[in-house]
Amino acid sequence: MSDLRSLVRRRGSLLLSALLLCALPFYLDAFWLRIGLFSMAAAIGAVGLGLLSGTAGQLSLGHAFFLATGAYGYVWLAGEPGPGLPPAVAAVLAVLLAGAAGGLFSPVAGRVKGIYLGVATLALVFLGHHVLLTADSVTGGFNGRSVPPLEAGGFAFADSGPRLTVLGVPFGAEERLWYLGLALFALTCFTARGLLRGRPGRALAALRDSETAASVMGVHVARYRSAAFVVSSMYAGLAGVLLALSFRRVVPDYFSLALSVDYLAMIVIGGLGSVAGASAGAVFVTALPLLMTRYADQLPLVATPGSGDGAIGPTEASRYLYGAAIVVILLRAPDGLSGLAGRARARLRRRPPVTGPPGAASDSESSEESGASGASGASDDSDDSDPSARAKEHTP
Amino acid sequence: MSAPAPAPAAAPPALEVRGVSVRFAGLLALDDVSFTVAPGTVHAVIGPNGAGKSTCFNVLSGLYRPTAGTVRLGAARLTRLAPHRIATLGVARTFQNIVTTGGTVADNLMLGRHALSRAGFTATALRLPSAVREQRAHLARAREIAELTGLGNHFDTPVTLLPYGDRKRVELARALCLEPRVLLLDEPVAGMNAAERARTAEVVRDVRARLGLSVVLVEHDMGLVMRLADEVTVLDFGRVVAHGTPDEVRRDPEVLRAYLGTGTGTATATTAVTKEDAT
Repeated sequence: MSDLRSLVRRRGSLLLSALLLCALPFYLDAFWLRIGLFSMAAAIGAVGLGLLSGTAGQLSLGHAFFLATGAYGYVWLAGEPGPGLPPAVAAVLAVLLAGAAGGLFSPVAGRVKGIYLGVATLALVFLGHHVLLTADSVTGGFNGRSVPPLEAGGFAFADSGPRLTVLGVPFGAEERLWYLGLALFALTCFTARGLLRGRPGRALAALRDSETAASVMGVHVARYRSAAFVVSSMYAGLAGVLLALSFRRVVPDYFSLALSVDYLAMIVIGGLGSVAGASAGAVFVTALPLLMTRYADQLPLVATPGSGDGAIGPTEASRYLYGAAIVVILLRAPDGLSGLAGRARARLRRRPPVTGPPGAASDSESSEESGASGASGASDDSDDSDPSARAKEHTP
Repeated sequence: MSAPAPAPAAAPPALEVRGVSVRFAGLLALDDVSFTVAPGTVHAVIGPNGAGKSTCFNVLSGLYRPTAGTVRLGAARLTRLAPHRIATLGVARTFQNIVTTGGTVADNLMLGRHALSRAGFTATALRLPSAVREQRAHLARAREIAELTGLGNHFDTPVTLLPYGDRKRVELARALCLEPRVLLLDEPVAGMNAAERARTAEVVRDVRARLGLSVVLVEHDMGLVMRLADEVTVLDFGRVVAHGTPDEVRRDPEVLRAYLGTGTGTATATTAVTKEDAT
């Protein structure tokens, strides 16, 4: 019993948010669920990119390429023309395919460092886009291909198949995919956090902070760099599969350089090196344009789509907004949303406890953020004022 | 508790440096340097600034490839190996300017356990019992080493929040976490105050006695060198100018010339050394 209680205390916020997320399909309509789905898919990809860019310090502009590999890999493997494999098998293979594509790039990914890798991966996006447009028989060319729905054990994550009603709520494609997305997102968080806190995560963070220190401590630099790239590609592949399932149609123009930049924006806004931060950034960057499109008529200065009266369209407006968000975050809170959250929690904890026992619930998160904030602190030792502000955060 | 075994009880093999030269685009940083670190001893490498001490360390830890010469640890030839391979042979080092990585003291020490642990990406991502067990065992050993080096109270503190002396000691502790057979210390007390110096000297003597490892020490603090070292090699302009016990080296006229530019006779020698003591 005390075990259960301590579990609830430690994992309370996690359990609560899991319950909340599971309950949402009963209250939200398809529009909101779709936003949630896209956000979850983006979060999976962002966590992968966070592992590569945030933890290992390797810039990648090629994330869109691996998202496309996952998405198109699934469509081709499960579809017609294509081998027509069972969709569940195709999904797994698509993730592996994205990993393999990352592996093929590993001679570069293992040797090239930081921003130079960013330039090298740029080539992948253009190459990928070109292939998507020209390899008609596999990718469907400019018009793309429709996505075969995922089926597992006779259960289809789509509107087809037997009708399903749970507690009076009809479960259509969005509701079903929502739970699939949640499960995949949970898997992503579980594995990524395990990685970050384990031996590989420490090795990658060490590579980012000091390649020399990492290598004399026994870290095989090239191998870990390329492994980080492969793992990040696999997360991107998984995100690609989920995106394809949510969009129901894949088109080449979606997987452009702008998408790669969006993912970088997500991890910067969220805070480098943190799983929760990458997820929050993903929700922000994904949901913002969709919400602005939906509520364009109620927003000042934003034109409704298609009206064409010279004002800013919702998509551009949201880009301005998240551009501004990046600038503000880089200037005011370089450790992103996760850093802000950590500081807010620390401030709450310093006050006399008003609600619930302090400390325990957020200890695990703050240890993770220390990795991210420590990184920025390690680069300039002279900056003493900033770490002292964080000192309080880490004294329970 | 299946804590990973501490360093092997057997004496570490000798570290032999034979005729090592390093050339950087016309500058001969090391010129035919040879010395042997006898098993289980503290061997100091001293010399004025720019004498090639740090270059020598970078060759020993595999960061530089020498232009000529070999470094052997027992039967293993280190000069053709990558740094991470040398680390797995049990050669650990610290740096002159602190090179810690982000995160807590524990994170840094656990990085030191990297070469001794096995858990790969898959096992860690899926949190397989083997990986969890391994991590727990290594964490226990890292904590022991933190206690040994006086960092026990700071185990979960982010390194960036520690004072200078403690951060320097984090590096030492991290190197010890590799369970090294040879420990390379590059100016372990540089910039420390007297109390911190004494503390670090104590730790070095203690771990050497307890773990039976060989120590190669680069240091400007002559007091520390004279107290800790069994043997001293003096470098100047990349060449070995003197070699012997601390007492022999202290009286060597070549050493005085290297340090003071002039110098004859023992009287000056003593002054020189005392001067170094004071700084």
